[in-house]
Amino acid sequence: MNRRQETRLAAWLVAPSLVFVAVLGAFPVLSQFVLSLTEFNLKFTDERSFVGLANFAKLLRDDVFWRDLGQTFQFTVVSVGLELLLGLAVALLLNRIGRGRAATNASVIMPWALPTVVAATMWSLILNDRIGLVNSVLERIGLAREPIVWLGPKLAMTSVILADVWKTTPFVAIILLAGLKSIPRHYYEAAELDGAGRWGTFRAITLPLLKPFIAVAVLFRAMDAFRIFDLIWVLTGGASKTETVSVYIYRVLFRYSDLGYGSAMTVALFAIVFGMSLALIRFMRIADDAR
Amino acid sequence: MKRGIVAACAVAAALVAGCTAQDDGEVRIVFAAGNDPSGATAALVEEYNASHEGVTVSFQPMPVNTDTQHDAYVTYLSARDATIDLYSLDVIWTAEFARAGWIVPLPPGFLAADDFLDGPLGSVTYEGTVYAVPWFTDAGVLYYRRDLLEEAGVPVPETWDEIREAYEKIAAPRDMEGFVWQGARYEGLICDFLEFLWGLGGSIDGAVVAADPALAEREIAQAIELVLGFFDDGVSPESVLTYKEEGSLRLFTESHALFLRNWPYAWSMAEGEESKVKGLVGIAPLPHAAGETGYSTIGGWNVALSSHSTHPDEALEFLAFITSERALKLRAIEGAYLPTRKSTYEDPEVLAANPHFESFFEVFRYTRNRPRSPHYPQISDIIQVNVHEALSRQKSPEEAASAIVEDLAEFSFE
Repeated sequence: MNRRQETRLAAWLVAPSLVFVAVLGAFPVLSQFVLSLTEFNLKFTDERSFVGLANFAKLLRDDVFWRDLGQTFQFTVVSVGLELLLGLAVALLLNRIGRGRAATNASVIMPWALPTVVAATMWSLILNDRIGLVNSVLERIGLAREPIVWLGPKLAMTSVILADVWKTTPFVAIILLAGLKSIPRHYYEAAELDGAGRWGTFRAITLPLLKPFIAVAVLFRAMDAFRIFDLIWVLTGGASKTETVSVYIYRVLFRYSDLGYGSAMTVALFAIVFGMSLALIRFMRIADDAR
Repeated sequence: MKRGIVAACAVAAALVAGCTAQDDGEVRIVFAAGNDPSGATAALVEEYNASHEGVTVSFQPMPVNTDTQHDAYVTYLSARDATIDLYSLDVIWTAEFARAGWIVPLPPGFLAADDFLDGPLGSVTYEGTVYAVPWFTDAGVLYYRRDLLEEAGVPVPETWDEIREAYEKIAAPRDMEGFVWQGARYEGLICDFLEFLWGLGGSIDGAVVAADPALAEREIAQAIELVLGFFDDGVSPESVLTYKEEGSLRLFTESHALFLRNWPYAWSMAEGEESKVKGLVGIAPLPHAAGETGYSTIGGWNVALSSHSTHPDEALEFLAFITSERALKLRAIEGAYLPTRKSTYEDPEVLAANPHFESFFEVFRYTRNRPRSPHYPQISDIIQVNVHEALSRQKSPEEAASAIVEDLAEFSFE
């Protein structure tokens, strides 16, 4: 086979995947973008018209969108940060376990395996101020005299973040555990021979070699957290300063059937998540090069 | 997003089903409505089919969750799906679906208006045209602990002041809550808040808001202050701001609350085997300010004809049957669905199966509808968000009231 033939064959082999990506990836994004340039409400199809960037201009002035964007950032940064710290701790612990590893790993991953809606409904019962487990335990051990309204105005965001941390820390832990397993034993043996302490070994060997895994975990988690919908929808419905951009988009797209403006928000969210991911990937590369 | 996918799958499934239907001259009518676990609706459909040659009606049960049904119907109808002929619609959807052209006006004279309760009747028109027939109804009701009131010699409260006194005398010493209701940020908050507003003599009707926005603002702010006063005095716990129907009902059935505002369905729960207050509960119209009248928000469902129906005449005939006296009676006896026809409340068989319907009928004399508009979801969100923020003290009552009136100005509503 000469080079030309080879190139042609390669093109044929790649074609199906390209079609797939185009149909499933590019087309929806593009059609969403086209929709975002129109005024189009399913209920008022007679008023459908092209409005250019008017929806985006409206977005810039929409206080609710900006407030929700801020809340989404807050949720993402705090929950992913906590998940990373806890996930790392859990991974380090799991890595030391000798016997019963399979059972421990399975039990740790349980929360992650639960469908989010199920987990969220469970948390709404656990956090219920009257009949919830948390308050009844706190009252029994004398830490709370009045029932704490976990999902009320003051604590709603904290509760939502805690529920998310509970649910997704296992995901981070499992990825980091895989990373820990990939570090060759003899690095640690060499460090021990050189007389490095635990902390020194962790900082000089574990952490740098774990970096790519941390980056992957953070990338996935940040993208997911930024689009959070189901957990918040079940726990608060977006009340008490917990509404995220996805919840707002749901309201506009589905409740108001406003495809034009809703699509504009979707495009904006897409751009933000895309930009965030690119920044994270770039950061990851820099970390790679530095090694 | 998930709901969208589910709805899309449902449409796909419906399309496939539509393609496989044989052409044997049989007219097929599909009636979509929330699931009826009592089986009364399915039995009525069966009865209808047995007596109607050449027509087969099938009942398509939908998820009971109102929002899920709404999103599914919007998806079907905006895609011009013709598989469903008749839709059971929440009372707040009429204007929206009529304006979109998804449901058709009923023939003149089809609805015998005199037979129906006023509240449900107010929900079937859009711009003066009748689009649906009332099917079953719902309205806010006050549940109270009969045993505790009797023991203390306190009459059933009619005003909020009396609710407050009963709380101080009976509930507070027992470490019970006084008055619980639905305050989470969702549709239920609108219903409960309007009842507070109406009970003060206020209103949020389109004409009133347009004619005198300053007055509307004052009234809304007063209603918010009334509720904040309940929180301050402990009459209502602030945790109601996280409660929907089940949460508030649970407090009552666990004997943690003296008064509960809820829908009629709560009766069978409060009187159920698992309830700690079984046999101790009374029903009354909602309280109001002294010198005013208490009004209950109307809920419930109507039946309308899809504009994409390929057999409108046969569909209308079934619509008349499923909303007939006979159908309402069977559904009342088997499923405890509250009928929309006045005469059903005098039927001895219905009352024998549901003795409490008599008290409900009393409540249904003073009912009102939520704002009626094709933009209802936006209107609802504007009120929900602002009222919830004011009640959780993120905004002052005045700020919330002026935001509501200002934002509502963008939409037309009745």
